[in-house]
Amino acid sequence: MKRVEIKLNISAVAPLLDIIKQAADDLRGQLAIRATFPEHDEEFNETWTAELLAGQNSDVRELLGLFGSEFFAEGSIAIDSRNSDSLLRGCSALRIQILSHWLQGIPTDLLEEEDVPPEAIADAVRVPFAAYTFLDQVQKIILEHLDPLAAEA
Amino acid sequence: MAETKTRKTPRAAQAPQPQRSEVWRVVVLNDPVNRMSYVVMVLRRVFGFAEERARKHMLEVHEQGRSVLWSGTREQAEAYVFALQQWHLTAVIQPEPPA
Repeated sequence: MKRVEIKLNISAVAPLLDIIKQAADDLRGQLAIRATFPEHDEEFNETWTAELLAGQNSDVRELLGLFGSEFFAEGSIAIDSRNSDSLLRGCSALRIQILSHWLQGIPTDLLEEEDVPPEAIADAVRVPFAAYTFLDQVQKIILEHLDPLAAEA
Repeated sequence: MAETKTRKTPRAAQAPQPQRSEVWRVVVLNDPVNRMSYVVMVLRRVFGFAEERARKHMLEVHEQGRSVLWSGTREQAEAYVFALQQWHLTAVIQPEPPA
């Protein structure tokens, strides 16, 4: 089983976790992306939403679990093929929420850039933007090093 | 292998209703958040697409705002849409227009 350990700077990541935890709280009762339903059947749609929400909450919990007491003691997080799917989805949900809560004023081309100079981002949203890009980098590491398609095979 | 959703609602127990279409499409819409490699991975996982085909759909979404990923039975289309929504892609099911 492939495993990646990422060493992080605790003092740099801690402020990002405040944003990530707030986004996680926002997502506890709502989907990151509004579900579209194939039919007008209230009960069916409620079940559909509830199942998506349960999965989303589980994925976000898995991600927050990386940043427990061990992270603050060791400064590292470990990802392997058992949790990589959840973490990929959790990062995606949280990034969508951070975007919709804090980053609506940032042009799309900046959001898609890999190396945005800090001065290009307004002071008020620099930390949320850093959290947004941090989660993107976690996804990138998983996609490049853990080969989620092989995990499925 | 596609992730599928087991229907738990009573729809299957209801009286058969006339279908507007026999063939349904799964359409994915653009979003500004998910990185391209993530979208390609999800399409490969959910539909079993080869890398090249998944990348073609991803680029179509990026450039045109949408891509038709699959068409077939309604129930399978619903399962695919649900799986895509689990991965936080915006996906809809649409009836195939008449030829």
